[in-house]
Amino acid sequence: MRYEVEVAGRRMRVETSAEGRLAVDDRVVAYDARPLAGTRHWSVVVEGGAHEVVLLAGDPPRALVDGVTVTVAVSDERTLAARRDRGRTVAGRHELRAPMPGLLKAVHVAVGDVVDAGAPIATLEAMKMENELRAPARGKVQRLGPAPGTKVESGSLIAVLVDEPA
Amino acid sequence: MRTCRDLGISTVAVFSDVDREALHVRLADEAYPIGGASPADSYLRIDRIVEVAQRSGADAVHPGYGFLAENAAFAQAVADAELVFVGPPAAVQRALGSKTEARRIAERVGVPVAAGTAEPVQDEVEVRHAAERIGYPVLLKPAAGGGGKGMRVVRSPSELPGAWRGATGEARTAFGDAGLLVERFIEHGRHVEMQLMADEHGGVVWLGERDCSVQRRHQKLIEETPGPSVGAELRERLGDAAVRIARAAGYRSAGTCEFLVAPDGSFIFLEVNTRLQVEHPVTEAVTGLDLVALQLRIAAGEPLPFRQGEIAPLGAAIECRITAEDAFRGFLPAGGRVDVVRLPAGPGIRVDSALEPGIWVPNEYDPLLAKLIAFGEDRAQALARMRRALAETVITGLPTTLPFHARVLAEPEFVAGRYDTAYVERAWPIRDPEIGDGAATAVAIALVLAERARGERARPRPAQASAWTAVAREAALRELPEPRERVR
Repeated sequence: MRYEVEVAGRRMRVETSAEGRLAVDDRVVAYDARPLAGTRHWSVVVEGGAHEVVLLAGDPPRALVDGVTVTVAVSDERTLAARRDRGRTVAGRHELRAPMPGLLKAVHVAVGDVVDAGAPIATLEAMKMENELRAPARGKVQRLGPAPGTKVESGSLIAVLVDEPA
Repeated sequence: MRTCRDLGISTVAVFSDVDREALHVRLADEAYPIGGASPADSYLRIDRIVEVAQRSGADAVHPGYGFLAENAAFAQAVADAELVFVGPPAAVQRALGSKTEARRIAERVGVPVAAGTAEPVQDEVEVRHAAERIGYPVLLKPAAGGGGKGMRVVRSPSELPGAWRGATGEARTAFGDAGLLVERFIEHGRHVEMQLMADEHGGVVWLGERDCSVQRRHQKLIEETPGPSVGAELRERLGDAAVRIARAAGYRSAGTCEFLVAPDGSFIFLEVNTRLQVEHPVTEAVTGLDLVALQLRIAAGEPLPFRQGEIAPLGAAIECRITAEDAFRGFLPAGGRVDVVRLPAGPGIRVDSALEPGIWVPNEYDPLLAKLIAFGEDRAQALARMRRALAETVITGLPTTLPFHARVLAEPEFVAGRYDTAYVERAWPIRDPEIGDGAATAVAIALVLAERARGERARPRPAQASAWTAVAREAALRELPEPRERVR
């Protein structure tokens, strides 16, 4: 199987072959990799160098290697093919979602309001802090999510904006 | 709690519904539930906490450094129940807890204060008038509280409505009082605070300063002592000012006098934190003292066991606060289930933490997970040890501020000691550091093996949406000046 990998901005083509061996940019590398916890925490010895790697979930995904956190990406050849076919999201529609679970303290707009990018839409209280949720783009408020006073989950829809010319 | 163990004192913990399994409950000798997850239903319930203290037969109550630690009504309720409050008496807390009264005390003993409103301001129009009179930029801060909660810098009139809303709301949630003070905001100031200790026999000493300028939205992230910009002469002046304020207020127990130091070495008094602080371990590291033990001795009526001249801090210490916040997404708090935990150890390292694999970090409370403290014979050694400790630390399952600390500790301006309260806003995000070919290859191998394992587990599933687009998006976001309130 072939993969495309990016680590801290470096792109590499990796091809797996026999166990304990793979090709990085066509160079054959011998390695000894031991998973320590599931498939997220690894001890990797490669060409005499001992490295500890922790793969961190997130968007974008990151990895911790020897105490340094770097941005990473990996795709196998099927994913790359699939991605080429995938469409884009509906143009002109912007969803504002709760970035974390919390209490929706206030909603500062009503349906039909036209707001500029960065305008406060709602106030979310989480971990004793109040966070202003701001408009991701200029637009008209088409729909609002839960009423103030509601507990919301991470990812809950707070508002939908549609493009509105300036 | 650990100090109590050292001294042979039994401990009683209180806990909310979501904290039943928390470390403090398991380490205590006795533990009692006091209500629901929301602080207002549990950790802010003075009546229930006092009732537990009485029911358990406790002699004294230590308020910690959150929730009710600076609440005069709590100190009063404890005293009324004929229990010893480990902290300053209610009257002192009331005086210093009111920023207006604290200002008055400072002015009376000749310590400089910031230009601003003397009384709390209750509505937006009044705030606008005050801001115009004082001149932008101004700082809004809760009249009742501390710890940075509810503070907002307002640089122009257009920022005022949002800042007012946020600050009053937070002030009400955190302190039960929406009143705000408006103050002139000093640019390029450094937040330097002086540790105080006072007994009930008139003994007051200062134990050295901490520079807490590395902060974000007035929440401290890194603290160190000695302050890189503080020389012996300034230290003496700050210590003297702090002691004068403490004496004038009739202070008792541990406290901290906060100052804002301008680039020219002049300073203004900010406030007194009438409690032990999160960052007290750095002072313990260089003085060799146990501040909690001192608090207990003072609460028991003993005099301070040393004089000012006998305190000789040695070396340098630094603390990094590891919180459950995603430094790459505007420091958004994110509770969750902790997966892997490996905390550092070795020479010069102290870890204060309640982290364990599998514990649940609730969204209801402050996101502090662990405090890493490094001590060295000088600043360079303390920083080297902290870099080593950060590199050793592994926490997975939720995002943390570890990457933030690792990068700041390697950033040249910070390493040179050149930073002020705007440092984080200015310097973050710091770029990915370079990694060697071997490390990059090791990451690539782990990624590919993990990806292959996932592919084998979920063969028919459509491709995982990760990777290339995300990288491009992150590169674009790095260009944004202030990503903190960005949402998906």
